[in-house]
Amino acid sequence: MRLRSIPWPTLLVAVLALALAVPPPADAQAPKKGGTFRVSYGNDIANLDFHTAPGYEMMWVAMNVGCGLIDITPDGKFVGDAAESWQVAPDGLMYTFKLHKNILFHDGTKVDAAAVKFSIDRLMDPATKSGMRAFYDSIHSTEVLDPHTLQIRMKQPYAFMLHMLAAYRTGLVIYSPTATQKYTVEDRKKGKPEAIPGCGPFRLVEWVKGTHLVMERFDKYFKPGRPYLDRIIIRTIKDPITEMAAFKAGEIDFIASFSPEHVDTLKAQTPNASIMTGKETTPMVAAMKVTVSKDGKPMSKERAPHPIFGDLRVRKAIGCYGIDRKEIVQIAFKGKATPWVAMAPPGTLESIDLNAKCPYDQAKAKALLAEAGYGPGGKPLTFEIMADTEKSVFNVIATVIKEQLARIGATANIRVLDKVSWMNTTLGDGPWDMYVEDLLSLLTIDSNGYLSNSTSTWSHPRHNDKKVDEYYARYARELDTAKRQAIGRELLEYMVDNMYWNNVTGSPFYMVAQPWVKGYTYNAEFEVDWETVWLDK
Amino acid sequence: MRTYILKRLIEIVPTILMITLVVFMMMRSIPGDPVVALLGDAYTEEDAVLVRQDYGLDKPVIFQYVIWLGKLVQGDWGTSILSGRPVLQDVLGRLPVTLELIVLSMGVALAIAIPAAIIGALRQNTWADYTATSIAMIGVSIPEFFIGVILLLIFSIGLGGWLPSSGWVYLPGTCPSIVCGASLWGNAQHVLMPALALGVGRAALLTRLLRASMLEVIRTEYVTTARAKGLSERPVVFKHALKNALIPTITVMGLQVGFLIGGAIVVETLFAMPGLGTFGIDAIIARDYQQVQGFALITAFAFVGMNLLVDLTYTFLDPRIRYA
Amino acid sequence: MAKPISGGSLREAELTGAAGVAWAAPAARSESPFVQGVRRLRRSTTALVGAVIVAVLLVVALFANVLAPYNPTDTDQTTTFASPSWEHPLGTDQLGRDMLSRVIHGTRISLIVGVSSVLLALFVGVPFGMIAGFYGGGVDRLIMRVMDLILAFPIYLLAIILMVMFTPTAGLLGTMKVTGAIAIVRIPIYARLVRGSVLSIKEKEYVEACRALGVRDPWILFRHVLPNCLAPIIVTTTLGIATSIIVEATLSFLGLGTQPPTPSWGWDLKANVAFIQANMWLSLFPGLAIFVTVLGFNLFGDGLRDALDPRLK
Repeated sequence: MRLRSIPWPTLLVAVLALALAVPPPADAQAPKKGGTFRVSYGNDIANLDFHTAPGYEMMWVAMNVGCGLIDITPDGKFVGDAAESWQVAPDGLMYTFKLHKNILFHDGTKVDAAAVKFSIDRLMDPATKSGMRAFYDSIHSTEVLDPHTLQIRMKQPYAFMLHMLAAYRTGLVIYSPTATQKYTVEDRKKGKPEAIPGCGPFRLVEWVKGTHLVMERFDKYFKPGRPYLDRIIIRTIKDPITEMAAFKAGEIDFIASFSPEHVDTLKAQTPNASIMTGKETTPMVAAMKVTVSKDGKPMSKERAPHPIFGDLRVRKAIGCYGIDRKEIVQIAFKGKATPWVAMAPPGTLESIDLNAKCPYDQAKAKALLAEAGYGPGGKPLTFEIMADTEKSVFNVIATVIKEQLARIGATANIRVLDKVSWMNTTLGDGPWDMYVEDLLSLLTIDSNGYLSNSTSTWSHPRHNDKKVDEYYARYARELDTAKRQAIGRELLEYMVDNMYWNNVTGSPFYMVAQPWVKGYTYNAEFEVDWETVWLDK
Repeated sequence: MRTYILKRLIEIVPTILMITLVVFMMMRSIPGDPVVALLGDAYTEEDAVLVRQDYGLDKPVIFQYVIWLGKLVQGDWGTSILSGRPVLQDVLGRLPVTLELIVLSMGVALAIAIPAAIIGALRQNTWADYTATSIAMIGVSIPEFFIGVILLLIFSIGLGGWLPSSGWVYLPGTCPSIVCGASLWGNAQHVLMPALALGVGRAALLTRLLRASMLEVIRTEYVTTARAKGLSERPVVFKHALKNALIPTITVMGLQVGFLIGGAIVVETLFAMPGLGTFGIDAIIARDYQQVQGFALITAFAFVGMNLLVDLTYTFLDPRIRYA
Repeated sequence: MAKPISGGSLREAELTGAAGVAWAAPAARSESPFVQGVRRLRRSTTALVGAVIVAVLLVVALFANVLAPYNPTDTDQTTTFASPSWEHPLGTDQLGRDMLSRVIHGTRISLIVGVSSVLLALFVGVPFGMIAGFYGGGVDRLIMRVMDLILAFPIYLLAIILMVMFTPTAGLLGTMKVTGAIAIVRIPIYARLVRGSVLSIKEKEYVEACRALGVRDPWILFRHVLPNCLAPIIVTTTLGIATSIIVEATLSFLGLGTQPPTPSWGWDLKANVAFIQANMWLSLFPGLAIFVTVLGFNLFGDGLRDALDPRLK
């Protein structure tokens, strides 16, 4: 198009547009107030009853709509949330929390010690059916000393009381007594804003399942000047391609949990994206079933050893020496994970590296299998690996394991099933041999008790070893750090020696943000706080 | 005639109910139930038993179905165990999205089929005819989600976000949310790629049908006479052939609704659209019994209802068909 | 003049496609419509192209073991995501499996699923349709009610629920589950097709004569009725294979189809679509394979329909 043929008004407009398009120098230091923060989730939020709903998607909403007593920083220090200060008695049997005086729920009522007591009591109440009930086992009672002081009396010392209150699942979320009594659990589940008055920086505006969740700044938030954002909109985009396209087009600002397999593709597409990750806090396990029900009834107290993996030698041959963890990391994660043997992943508090205990050793594996009666001289070893469809990486890892086990003469067949079926089979003591999954993120070794105590429904291998429970109990009660870490080491080594828990790698976790998103502190899955986020636009 | 219509209308009720009953039974034979999904990582055996009792899941299956039916008759479609949301509300919120997608897909199919059929009828057995039919044939041979992925690649990723890759902007008046931002233009941007992905596959059958029908009309003496009178070809084709050919085509389109509902599930999943398709498949996978019932009910109703409508239309148009 | 199909509807026509294949009574002329049809078929380009494609696919499926350079399930961690090269003409996937071999072996699975699902529907639907049409009355009503029920089910709703019910597995069992799920939805099509044809034949005098002579019913059905519906059955089957292959691919996209390590085009397409930016060929080639296969069957089926329906030319 020749210059002469362009009418001058058009040219003028074009030049003006160009001039305006060049942004003024950004003030990178002072947070800017305002803006809409668009977040993308890879999975739907189940429901919004914070005390009972499952899933990280709900938890991250709870962390922003609700408030708790304390939070934990990435380096493990505690900072106050609703609690201004706290004291722990030297014997660990008494915790005293002093609350800020000016905290309000989103409906305007005061957040006081009575509300905190109410929340803790209801979490401990079996009728609430909260999954966090087990964490509050050590609490004897709570007492309101004055409107802003709460005292928690313990049955026995609990070394991780503060960790638990800060970040086990949602951490403690304070419910409003008035709202909880006025509205039903269904109201809370479906996200009726009046039923969910949290005390966090953002108040719930609306939730349309499968479409979006909207939060807006709570003007009367007790921390002055915060939050910066006007509004947060969370959308669910399940397909990673669609998610990447939306991110590239600038339609979303923040991806809350991004599929590790596609991180490289995202980086190639949007080179200036901020990709956040850290030491893995979630274990990737290839769990083996240790006992089966003797009388055929699920969860029966009478146990018999699993026909294949009931034998420790087979567990060690397959799980300890027969799996090349480095190869799995290469293929499944393109090297972006840590090969790991110990039960607690690298990013967990007081975690220990026990990789030396289980080097990849085909000869040793074959020898153990022969001892147990399998192999060229004995019976053929054939079993099934379950992989659920929640993450495609499970199947990839299962396929690699299948390949690796073929090298030592074992045949593994892969069965793929959806997550609910998987849960049904494993939680219901159904028939299975091995599965690949990444379970839950672990802040501390203690939080794993939920998954591996012999009495826990979630201890899928059903090892029924009371010694494990003893270790957990001693570990949780030991306040002296050095002694506790020694117990921890013993526990982790015991788990590896018995292969009750077969960790393969850490399961990496990624969050992705646009370059104009500032002020977010990455703390894995444990703390997702958008209170400090601001948009440099 | 009136009694016949009434009779047919009453007849579809047991069919729809049967479908919901079959779906009800099938869902409950899948391993896992909504309680497992509801409690999720907080699952314990004791809690599970209590929750099942709370929601009446421990009662005999037929009992549960009758309860559901009883509530339905009163206009209550039930509440999702998982999310606590009323099913009817969710269904109504998502209906406009899927409806729009289906209608526009049909539009796309017609937009391809009409020119192709006209070319085919006018220039029968020439290269133009073959090309037009081939294009339609290609469209029907590619899975819808693949067309969708290619469109995504070209328009969202490739051309730097010409068209939005996901989500939805509601048409004014259809938004179930407080936070709306409903707009015609936004809506058009979001629905274009999905409608294309879904509609292209339907075009082949329509082209074929339209072309055949037009050819048939052209061959009738009526048209031959008109031609003999010296009228030029084009008005003949357009006025008479097309008009008459459209009638059976439209009726066939109605029957295509079933395939479109299926295709919509896939396209909605890919483009993250808040429609009935994603609603249904999410509900099935999460074992959300109540939502699955709602989904089955509305799709069965749409499907069966559409078939009935088409049958009745055909009866009006072709009195040669006698119904006992 | 052919008797209108009682109780029938436009759906009949829709199901057999387009303007429908004529329910022609046996011709009085010496040349059967079948021979006429075959002659027309040979002159049709579409059918020819389609037939060639289908033939090639059959060869590939039969000789997959010979044609494929590698074992499709062999993983090789040193050559993951390799670009197309002489060793790996279509590159390798995330686990180092050779894509060309997977595509070749995928032909087998796709054809097996496509053909067997349609054949299964055929072998169940046709007998039911014949029985319903021939005996009429209560039997007819019952069978048609069930068929209506299945037909009234949105195809994907049924398939999805069935698939989740019988959770997908790899290997032969998994393939069978997918086949069954797709087949169930197609059964009513055949039943209705055959029933319609039976109804139009039933009243013929020679059928009455046969019966009077004591010829057994199944023989009558087989000898006189079946050849009549052969044409639409063949057409529907060919086109049905095409649809089945697309349904299988779609189910895989939703995570419910054939599962790995069985090499399936649908699964490969779905799994690699996420890597489409960097490794485009990994999902492109399975997609292309699906396209070509479905196109082949569609062309062939279309050609067949043209050839066997005298009204369209």
